[in-house]
Amino acid sequence: MTATTLKVSSGASKEGLVVQPESQSTLVWRRFRKHRLAVISGVLLMIILVASLLAPIIAPFGRDDIDISTAARFAPALSRTPDGGLHLLGTDHLGRDVFTRLLYGARVTLIVAVLVAVFSTAIGMVIGALAGFYRGIVDTLLMRFLDFMSSIPSFTILLILTSILITDPNMLPFPRIWLDTLRVTMLLRDMQEARTVAVILLVLIGFGWIGSARLMRGMVLSIRETLYVEASRSLGVSSLRIITQHVVPNAMAPIIVSFTQDLAAAFATETVLSFLGYGVQEPTATWGNMMKLAEEYIFEQRLLPVIVGVPILICSLAFNFIGDGLRDALDPRLKL
Amino acid sequence: MTTFLVRRLAQMFLITLLAAFVSYLLFYIAPGGPLAKLAEINQGGRNRLDRDAEARIKKTFDLDLYQVPRFMRWLIGHPRGSFVIGGQEFFQSLQVGCLKEGRARLVYADGTTVETNCIEPVYLKDLPDPQRRVGNGVMRLDFGLSQQILRDRPVMDLIGSRIGPTLWLLGLSNLFALIIAVPIGVISAVKQYSKFDYLVTTLTFFGSAMPTLFLGIMGILIFALTFKDLGLPYLPPQLAESNADAVVPLLGDIVAGSMRDRIWHLILPVTVLTIVSLTGWTRFIRSSMLEVLRQDYVRTARSKGLGERAVIAKHALRNALIPFITLVVGVIPALFGGAVVTETIFSWPGLGRLFIAALGSNDYPVLMAILLIGTILTLVSYLISDILYTVVDPRIRVS
Repeated sequence: MTATTLKVSSGASKEGLVVQPESQSTLVWRRFRKHRLAVISGVLLMIILVASLLAPIIAPFGRDDIDISTAARFAPALSRTPDGGLHLLGTDHLGRDVFTRLLYGARVTLIVAVLVAVFSTAIGMVIGALAGFYRGIVDTLLMRFLDFMSSIPSFTILLILTSILITDPNMLPFPRIWLDTLRVTMLLRDMQEARTVAVILLVLIGFGWIGSARLMRGMVLSIRETLYVEASRSLGVSSLRIITQHVVPNAMAPIIVSFTQDLAAAFATETVLSFLGYGVQEPTATWGNMMKLAEEYIFEQRLLPVIVGVPILICSLAFNFIGDGLRDALDPRLKL
Repeated sequence: MTTFLVRRLAQMFLITLLAAFVSYLLFYIAPGGPLAKLAEINQGGRNRLDRDAEARIKKTFDLDLYQVPRFMRWLIGHPRGSFVIGGQEFFQSLQVGCLKEGRARLVYADGTTVETNCIEPVYLKDLPDPQRRVGNGVMRLDFGLSQQILRDRPVMDLIGSRIGPTLWLLGLSNLFALIIAVPIGVISAVKQYSKFDYLVTTLTFFGSAMPTLFLGIMGILIFALTFKDLGLPYLPPQLAESNADAVVPLLGDIVAGSMRDRIWHLILPVTVLTIVSLTGWTRFIRSSMLEVLRQDYVRTARSKGLGERAVIAKHALRNALIPFITLVVGVIPALFGGAVVTETIFSWPGLGRLFIAALGSNDYPVLMAILLIGTILTLVSYLISDILYTVVDPRIRVS
């Protein structure tokens, strides 16, 4: 896989040719840059992420601030409050600033997507690698479980589970430190909000790792039969070292691609859950529950669904483009 | 083949049983239930739920039974009383539940005393009781009565009333998607790297990344609301039938509940769902076709001097469609589950919305029915596609 560039040296040195190896990461980066839409998507996502992280500084209003002046309900974009504040994208049915809520919502939506993708990929990788490498009882159990999961309508179960857990978020004993971390990173108002987000995270990760585990297991099964693994084993290299030094690096390309797909899927699932009313609950802002409200009041304020929908569309496209670009960059033959 | 079928059916039965168990567990951990709701309503006032009323409700919903007999009765509708073998009753006084809890000391005639935590135990012989509702069990597709949405009506009736709109919606959209996806995918693959191919790959990429949510709501916004304002022939934003007659520009009068009315309501949601399935299927057909076109037998067919049309239609397409079977058969469970998001957006009275409504009102029997029937249909569709594979492609053997 390591490509080499041949450079004819200008001076008439003895060798004539200087071989300058190019590292794998520069190669990937060079290929990725060629995919223009992916690069644009990456930049856009970065802007949205940074803006959402700076939400308390950028946002002109507080997340739940209600504008009580008369014309504040469904104020159109660019309208002003009596004391000169600007509603950049207008207000919602309660007179809350939409731009502000979009920023705070991006924070919850994107952080949830990233956390879900990271944890499900990590958990899936560990379980898949162990099952694929050691086979035996772990593998059998995992495969039976995966078979079972693929034959039940998982979105149905996911919805039932979240709807049950959300009505009573105290049911699960989350460690306080987790909840505090969530509360601080997502700027949630209280522990109750943090609990709901934690429930959503848990359920999404609980269903998310399955795909990565299946992929990782398949990769490991093919890698463990290769000659270089056999060579290492005959040299007496330990199993753990074989996994970390040979198996994982070689399985990395498809795992990274599946990570971006997980990201897109987590984003979509969280948005749909919130839209259906079984995700993160009001008044915590997420793009999904903002869309739900925008849809409910579509007859009163036509533009609101567009204002909330466009960021959802942009992120959804961006995740997909980046996944596509990365797939081309990492391994052009790879097809998932 | 017979051994394969027997083994698969046994496997399917086991998985269904497991799914039933999982759904019962969900049922069991769920907060609420009939008692919690009633206790809530009556708190503080004179109408406080007394112990007799509580016992009566417990009896109705089998809440007084222990988990094992309760699960068995839910699953297969048994036990319904003491076991009768040859006219003689067995296990009459096997305790299966407890109607009223509390500390009690039982003093028997011979002087022995027993301390129990149950004032009024339920024995096996008490089970035949007109107050107790017991169905034939979920394994025989009797899901009992709806608790909230249509109170005390059988769940199967509820599902029966909603399955029509869902079948129309999903059947039509999948049919259209199929009719459009196959030719487009094939042409796109045959003319790889042509302008048409680029157009198709770009559009399908956008289409598959497009959230259904966005597509549906924009559809309503443009074709229902804005078109109506502009005086154009608009489409209805929601429901499957109008409540009142409507006059639409160019389309004329539309009588509520007529055939025209129903078709008029189908257009928008069917279009949205068609686009959603179309994009994935087109990409699938295209890549599967590309793979087949590289095969040796296609080259052989060409070198025999066969016309391009015959090569594509007879040699390539038939083989390219084999993996497509899985996708098409996979629609079967989806037909039942309904399209949750699309049905919600368009307030479509189908199974998807029934599911969301049942979630919202904690109508667990309805949820369990949808979950279990969905599982069974998924399993059946896997079996059908496996069998179809062997029929279509003789290279594949079941094992």
